[in-house]
Amino acid sequence: MSGLLEAQNVSRTFGGGLLSKGGTVAVDDVSLVVDDNNPSITAIAGESGSGKTTLARLLLGVIQPTGGAIRYRGQPLTKLDGAARKQFRRDVQAIFQDPYEAYNPVYKVDQTLTIPVSKFGLASSRDEARQIIEESLRMAGLRPEDTLGRYPHQLSGGQRQRIMVARALLLRPRVILADEPVSMVDASLRATILESLVRLKRDLGISLIYITHDLTTAYQVSQNIYVLYRGSVAEVGSVERVIKEPKHPYTRLLVSSVPLPDPDIQWGGTITDEEAAPPPPVLPQTEGCKYADRCPFVMPECRQAAPPLYLTDEDRAVACYLYKNNPQVTGQQMAESLAQSATRTPT
Amino acid sequence: MARPSVASNVAAGGPDRDTRVLDVRDLHVSYRTPAGPLKAVNGVSFFLRPGERFGLVGESGSGKTTTALSLLRLLQEPAVIEGGEVLLDGVDLLQLSEEQMRLTRSADIALIPQGAMNSLNPMMKIGEQLRDTIRAHRKVWTSHQSLDDRIRDVLHSVNLNVGVMNGYAHELSGGMKQRVCIAMAILLNPKVIIADEPTSALDVVVQRQVMETLRRVQQQLGASVVLVGHDMGLMAQFVNRIGVMYGGKLVEVGPVRSIFKDPLHPYTQLLIKSLPNLQTKEEFRGIPGLTPSLLAPPPGCMFHPRCPFAMPRCSVAIPRLQEVQPERWVACHLMDESPA
Repeated sequence: MSGLLEAQNVSRTFGGGLLSKGGTVAVDDVSLVVDDNNPSITAIAGESGSGKTTLARLLLGVIQPTGGAIRYRGQPLTKLDGAARKQFRRDVQAIFQDPYEAYNPVYKVDQTLTIPVSKFGLASSRDEARQIIEESLRMAGLRPEDTLGRYPHQLSGGQRQRIMVARALLLRPRVILADEPVSMVDASLRATILESLVRLKRDLGISLIYITHDLTTAYQVSQNIYVLYRGSVAEVGSVERVIKEPKHPYTRLLVSSVPLPDPDIQWGGTITDEEAAPPPPVLPQTEGCKYADRCPFVMPECRQAAPPLYLTDEDRAVACYLYKNNPQVTGQQMAESLAQSATRTPT
Repeated sequence: MARPSVASNVAAGGPDRDTRVLDVRDLHVSYRTPAGPLKAVNGVSFFLRPGERFGLVGESGSGKTTTALSLLRLLQEPAVIEGGEVLLDGVDLLQLSEEQMRLTRSADIALIPQGAMNSLNPMMKIGEQLRDTIRAHRKVWTSHQSLDDRIRDVLHSVNLNVGVMNGYAHELSGGMKQRVCIAMAILLNPKVIIADEPTSALDVVVQRQVMETLRRVQQQLGASVVLVGHDMGLMAQFVNRIGVMYGGKLVEVGPVRSIFKDPLHPYTQLLIKSLPNLQTKEEFRGIPGLTPSLLAPPPGCMFHPRCPFAMPRCSVAIPRLQEVQPERWVACHLMDESPA
């Protein structure tokens, strides 16, 4: 295995400090591995407040962890020298939720594409620049003649988002981190954009970290999934295993709450107020399992210490005492084994 | 609770309207823009039966929210309702005076707005906002119940503690705020509730709880609901019948099961194919092409530039929404050949 991008027991706390008590733990001891030799699509799923966007910002080096480390090719991000940092900036690309905010509205969209070309010296002439820009637009499923020379407001949301994909592709990245890339796009275009991301992995061997609240698209595109609850991994494993037979009480609730596009499969039962209760805005520190207050199966031990990951299947681990008869596994071990086995193709 | 309503005082519709609590006929709405009128709603007709949950689904720009707000006459400049009828129990809401319409809103036809949780007043206690709604309708509020008794009943029916009356909006979670908005919408026992993307900012678990609450109170009241949205999954879970909008027109209307099992309009077919599910990993495909510009709409059928079955006729003649099977309306030239 050759780790391209790794999160090693990463934590991030906001606030706290001398005067206030504690702080908000946004990401709590999360490990994740993207293997350079084994392109994969990894979903990070969770509701608002689960820490998924904070994890994305940690992986991009935009914010620093308060515990653990993010490593790029074995080196902690904070220790990268100039050349390695530049390589990191090329290898790891990001696509964000709102494709409108990523543009300068008074410039043509071409600018978004020409800046990386000149900053990274990707082309030696104007013609060559034009050529590689057109090539990456086509890879993102766009016709260059329909997109170049236009202003952001003249394009649809789906086109704007695909230009962001094209921009990421210009740099020939090894991994693309996509934070809710389709949540603001209409249904008919959502599938088109996700298709183009899946194609990048299949045809170009680019890994994808797909951050989303939407379990249906996560299931459709990814091989592995991390389900986050209040910053901690609740369940992690192959997407087939986790979505088809969820084991953590939180994952079960999530999966059963997805409104499926099939009138014959209805939401079963009703949700209790405890189960539906969102996490309070300021998260109290807890010694035990963070889900205990909402969990219908809560046991005394859940209040004492946070549950470790239990390996319930070869390709899935659950942080829940209901499965304490299974062997324990660390987040790091699980992340490495999933990254290596991620050869199963999605569609 | 017996309560004479503005609408039923005026009363009396035709014979085929007995089963229609709301009947929208040939609604046209335009936005005046510097580049000319933009036809956002272009001849939309549908009806609601008593107690029915109807879904109005479409992508952004399809005219679904404009349609929904027209029913309440809540559109503002530069939007203009250019024609059509909105019959609520036989009374055309488009013909009422401003004051009559104000009294009809909430009392007979209520709105749960998009981002409803941001529609609460941050400076005013929740209970006071609910009291306001009743006070504004004093003319049509004839219940013997005291204001606060009614409010307690309603909060109870949306599973909220009556304690929230003394709290402010910021003290509540998103799901609780949304349930306050449902409570506000049902305070006066309306016949029709228009819910415009009521859960679009909520997490799935909370979304499910809010929708289950809405369904329960709707059934208790016997009210009809128009659910406006783009989430076909939510439609499948919630509504009885569905109307699919595209480019300001309804292209297909039918019972939710038939629409999902056997969509007839090519747009509906492609839309349903583009939905990811959790059962099977199949190739789900987007719809090629872009939504039409409403300033310069294509001639003929709005969907023909993206339609895989487009025929010469489609770029010339506008297909009419017609009943091709019992309960199923489709606007597509492909239907012309098949016997109705």
